[in-house]
Amino acid sequence: MMRRTILAAAALLALGGGSTLAAAQLLRVPPLLQVGPRGIPLPPAPITFEGLQADMVAKSGSDTVFFAGSGYGLDAAAQATLTAQARWLLANPAMRARIEGHADDRSPRDYALAIGERRANAVRDFLVLQGVPAEQLTILSWGKERPSVAGSSEMALALNRRASTVLMR
Amino acid sequence: MTIKLRFCALLLAMLPTIATAQDKPAIVVAVPPLATPKNVTTAAGDTGLIGRYVADVITSDLRSSPELMPIGPENARIYPYPEATAPSFSQWRTTGAKTLVTGFVQARSDGRLTIACYVHDIPGAREIARKGFVVTPAEWRRAAHRCSDAVYTQLTGRPGSFDSQIAYVAESGTRNARVKRISVMDSDGTSHRYLTAGEATVLTPRLSPDGDRLAYVSFAGGQPQLRLVDLASNEDRPLLPGNAMSFAPRFSADGTRILFAMSAGGNTDVYVANADGSALQRLTSTPGIDTAPSFSPDGRQIVFESDRSGSEQLYVMNADGSDQRRISFGGARYGSPVWSPDGDRIAFTRIAGNTLSIGVISPSGTGERVLTQGVADEGPSWAANSRELLFQHSDPSGRTGLSVVSVDGGTPRPIATPQEGSDPEWSAGGAK
Repeated sequence: MMRRTILAAAALLALGGGSTLAAAQLLRVPPLLQVGPRGIPLPPAPITFEGLQADMVAKSGSDTVFFAGSGYGLDAAAQATLTAQARWLLANPAMRARIEGHADDRSPRDYALAIGERRANAVRDFLVLQGVPAEQLTILSWGKERPSVAGSSEMALALNRRASTVLMR
Repeated sequence: MTIKLRFCALLLAMLPTIATAQDKPAIVVAVPPLATPKNVTTAAGDTGLIGRYVADVITSDLRSSPELMPIGPENARIYPYPEATAPSFSQWRTTGAKTLVTGFVQARSDGRLTIACYVHDIPGAREIARKGFVVTPAEWRRAAHRCSDAVYTQLTGRPGSFDSQIAYVAESGTRNARVKRISVMDSDGTSHRYLTAGEATVLTPRLSPDGDRLAYVSFAGGQPQLRLVDLASNEDRPLLPGNAMSFAPRFSADGTRILFAMSAGGNTDVYVANADGSALQRLTSTPGIDTAPSFSPDGRQIVFESDRSGSEQLYVMNADGSDQRRISFGGARYGSPVWSPDGDRIAFTRIAGNTLSIGVISPSGTGERVLTQGVADEGPSWAANSRELLFQHSDPSGRTGLSVVSVDGGTPRPIATPQEGSDPEWSAGGAK
């Protein structure tokens, strides 16, 4: 699934223009490791909240997983991403995360809310099965109210069928 | 005499096009200016002028109905006040009109107006309906819409929806950070107002049948949840206790109950409650998603959407949840069903390939028809006459607005809104 994301992102890059920003966000490039003299890593900068989300993204590969078709099943790529997210959440037990599920705009309004919740639940359940305490996680369905990509091309629809793990203050 | 001649010429010019446009020729309705016993100046203008405005509104209302052909005040004979109740039928018989609408506007000593209208059968030379209203001068337009409803009902046998409201979501801002506000307007586009300020994402406003309450979905509490607003006092409260996700509200035709979907324990099912949120009862329990419920007009059955078969389809059940059966087998996905006020049809959103369109089907599952060819048409809502559907139309660029289509098909007509609009609903009746 990650490969699919990158392919999709590459395709977006090829389109150029206004799509490149979205594509750059999708690639989720990990921040460069800050290295001092003789290759010794510098002590970490004071951790900001934004830094934590970036750290989770860097160590998990992505904060977002995608869903094929109209379903809510987690494929191997999604499971790999979530397994890494679970490791990060277990290493940061003080952090609470909200799983935000989304639908594409080919579902009517009401069904979009329901399928978004299914997707968020699927991710939450997977993380809990990996050992993340359920109290650490909440869910929210955005239905089709917060598309990450505009338009209704197949690619846009595929990128909008997603669930994101969002750290909460 | 000159006026009468112009009137006849206009009729002759217009009749053939109407006659070829449909099976039955339209009923020609003459709508001359309403009379006034005494021209009195009011806050809304002179009573004589208001009489002219009322006739204009009635003409405009009736023109949207394909069965009727109104001839407005600019072409009709002006009659003296006594003829409002006793028309000179011999004069009208020469015009070609079959129906005559007369009336009067009278200033009262308390500052209000009496607006009365009378519907006459010209060949039979008799009165067939009458309506009278006492309104403030500012409310003359609503009296006019209710006269239109009386004419429409008398001539077609179906309830009119000219004195009705449209609730919808006004949209502004970018696609991924939409500002959405619950909005209500009269169905002629006047009296537009916003009920929410736009801080929280809001969805699917649904008016109670008497038009005095509105249920909607708000993200204000951190989850999509149902809220209920009283339109007179603007009091706005959660419909249900607790923090479960609840959505897809619809009132019963008598306004006493409300259907909705709620997610408990990760499963979305159909629930019913009293209209104030009390006496909650769960009606479905399959592992699939059950949502978008709508009562039949007699309140004995419910149509809803479920993906229990693997894809979204339409199901009908009894009001207590028993005898759940699938009715859609057209090879597509189906959602947002809503039962017509006359009980004969169910409108739905049809999802096939990459397009969403509006269609209708009988409650037994026969006679499926697709009415629109849009890229993304969704969320139909019935007019009170069960002849038209209001829905959300999105053009290929993603711009959304409101449109109306006849159940007989044809080209949808757009309904103007100040901003982009979505999730429209036509109320069963007018505002209080």
